[in-house]
Amino acid sequence: MRVLDGLLPTCGEALAAAETLLAAARRAVEEKVSADGIIGNDALEQEQFAAHGFAWMATYVEGLRQMLGWARRLDDAGRLGELESLMLQSAFGEYLAQLYGGIALSQVEVARPRDLGVASADVHVFFKGAVKTLIYEGNTSAVRRRIAQLMTDGAFGDPGLEDETLDLVRDQFHRFVEDKVSPDAHQWHLDDELIPMAVVEQMAELGVFGLTVPEEWGGLGMGKTAMCVVTEELSRGYIGVGSLGTRSEIAAELIRLGGTTAQKEKYLPRIASGEILPTAVFTEPNTGSDLASLRARAVRDGDVYRITGNKTWITHGGRSDLMTLLVRTDGDEKGYRGLSMFLAEKPRGTDDDPFPAPGMSGGEIPVLGYRGMKEYEIAFDGFEVPADALLGGAPGQGFKQLMATFESARIQTAARAVGVAQNALELGLTYARDRKQFGKPIYEFPRVAGKLAWMAVEIMVARQMAYFAGREKDSGRRCDIEAGMAKLLAARVAWAGADNALQVHGGNGYALEFAISRVLCDARILNIFEGAAEIQAHVIVRGLLSGRN
Amino acid sequence: MKVLVAIKRVVDFNVNIRVRGDGSGVETNNVKMSMNPFDEIAVEEAIRMREAGTAEEVVAVSIGPAQSAETIRTALAMGADRGIHVLCETQTEPLAVAKLLKAIVEKEDPGLVILGKQAIDDDCNQTGQMLSALLGWAQGAFISKLAVAGGNAEVTREVDGGLEKVSIKIPAVVTVDLRLNEPRYASLPNIMKAKKKPIDQMSPDDLGVDVAPRMKILKVEEPPKRQAGVKVENAAQLVDKLKNEAKVI
Repeated sequence: MRVLDGLLPTCGEALAAAETLLAAARRAVEEKVSADGIIGNDALEQEQFAAHGFAWMATYVEGLRQMLGWARRLDDAGRLGELESLMLQSAFGEYLAQLYGGIALSQVEVARPRDLGVASADVHVFFKGAVKTLIYEGNTSAVRRRIAQLMTDGAFGDPGLEDETLDLVRDQFHRFVEDKVSPDAHQWHLDDELIPMAVVEQMAELGVFGLTVPEEWGGLGMGKTAMCVVTEELSRGYIGVGSLGTRSEIAAELIRLGGTTAQKEKYLPRIASGEILPTAVFTEPNTGSDLASLRARAVRDGDVYRITGNKTWITHGGRSDLMTLLVRTDGDEKGYRGLSMFLAEKPRGTDDDPFPAPGMSGGEIPVLGYRGMKEYEIAFDGFEVPADALLGGAPGQGFKQLMATFESARIQTAARAVGVAQNALELGLTYARDRKQFGKPIYEFPRVAGKLAWMAVEIMVARQMAYFAGREKDSGRRCDIEAGMAKLLAARVAWAGADNALQVHGGNGYALEFAISRVLCDARILNIFEGAAEIQAHVIVRGLLSGRN
Repeated sequence: MKVLVAIKRVVDFNVNIRVRGDGSGVETNNVKMSMNPFDEIAVEEAIRMREAGTAEEVVAVSIGPAQSAETIRTALAMGADRGIHVLCETQTEPLAVAKLLKAIVEKEDPGLVILGKQAIDDDCNQTGQMLSALLGWAQGAFISKLAVAGGNAEVTREVDGGLEKVSIKIPAVVTVDLRLNEPRYASLPNIMKAKKKPIDQMSPDDLGVDVAPRMKILKVEEPPKRQAGVKVENAAQLVDKLKNEAKVI
């Protein structure tokens, strides 16, 4: 019997203990970073390691809470099978052990309870009863091997959505990807080419770009959970395909939340139908995460604004039709209050001439992975935008308008990461079963099977966190912390998964001809874009300590 | 013309089939189930007929347990107009299915019934032919091409020796082969629309059909594991082994 007796109550007890430890960590970190009950930004920066360690700790505890919730829902529906039980047990075993012994913020930074200032007495209290049982028996090599055995039929655990429509959506997109994306994705990457328009058009027909756009604006009005499912399946085939929707998602949400009625009427139906492919133009050569310091400016000149300045990391910049362009309209206001968002139309470019518009020039940035849409830097020199292209019609709202879309963007990115990780897992699994060494498939070696089994477990944790954030968003609750946690964890899971799946491939994984070499490059971006892991941890800890959510 | 399409919920074609521990059948617990691939082709063909204007309505029928409603929903998401679900928790044999379909045909009065040529679970390949006989209608089995015009259906059948073109009178029953078409993916808009399409549920009793099995399955076994072969040195040794060990020549 590998599934622990009384697994669900044991996990419930362990979760309560983890919450107690987290509360102790919070008190300890608060003490480090606050004076007279007020969080000091300087102190938070000085104590970044402890503070980010706390963000990660909270992320782990949330992950366990979501896993237990998932298992309980499956249990109620009579669908908690051996595989799902073992995944729950393994997740608890591993995460509890890391909460106790230290969490790797990266390969070279391990945050231990002591680093957060947690008293050893609190750690001793934690390491008892259910926690101890799960640390000792939850994630043993035997458990991982059994998970690996159960996975061989292509079963990776019931996602537990309990929704017939979403199951159908997943099924259809899975098939679409198997037929139209997976067979060609690697060649697109190797040739560094744009995802063919035929595929983009099929995605438009399937409704990808209007998924979350309200019905009154020509979309489907489906929720963020549906978006997670679609994104996950598309990214499982190719990150570029899963990411095509991100641009439409962000642009549509910007317009839906911040646009005038005329702007909504003009753009939402055409974004939803895929007729307009939008691109996000925010980052500048000297300004990434520190958006408030953006320098590109728009100067009013009669009926138009003239844009001047440099932008970079513009994904799909060439082939897109509409820029959501964040620039400074008030030169006297140096901070985020001087920023405005424009809906700036541009002609679709080609590889030879990506920006065939007056006042706009630029070039491609060659990149390791995340190809398929291409990255560009763009220089604006008096580029003309009509005055009514100002989002919402009032200047100075750009930063706020953009912030309103961050939750959705992060949820979507978490789902992209889950899809990429799943792709890595499946590539690793197929290779491990086919590759024979010493007279047997290498999948029969415990360390090969164990790696892949843990991948499946941690993907499920990240998936459940993404769904949770999606559900919170759909219920209209603020979920920046949950979305941030899902993105933070899923990105690490994707990178670890790609790295380990490549390791399973041995030397072949290092050859460009094997798809895992691409997935490794693709996975790497997830820890960087939409909030680098360090920024993400910072946002989470600031949110937690300020008592939000 | 109304087109009736029969669809079946089967173990997904990607799943490795496992025999139940007690040998009573194939394991279907916690196994991914999907629409029989040949039936998807049947649904697609019916929808194309409606899109081309040769059919006015597409009705998808499934006979099976509660979850068969999900399979009908998939057909509705592909584009079928409404569904009929004959709720039947026990195993049904082709003859019982054909009788149920006949009863439904008599109620619905379609001009054409389209079925998959066989279901990938039991590979029976009988239901369509039985239905045609019970109805006294013309049949075209294993078709790879279908054109309905006037009172006839021109069908191309995939037979052993090649292709056979037959003109049959409608109403008729046809069963479809793999090469007839490539089924579409259900788009998100159509998935949402499908939620509002009606599925009528009924029981075999409602249709007055006795579905009790006429056969008894004694035992289901996994095929024997393939044994490793041996390398022979030369042709003479091969002939000797074929003659004396395998006793096939």
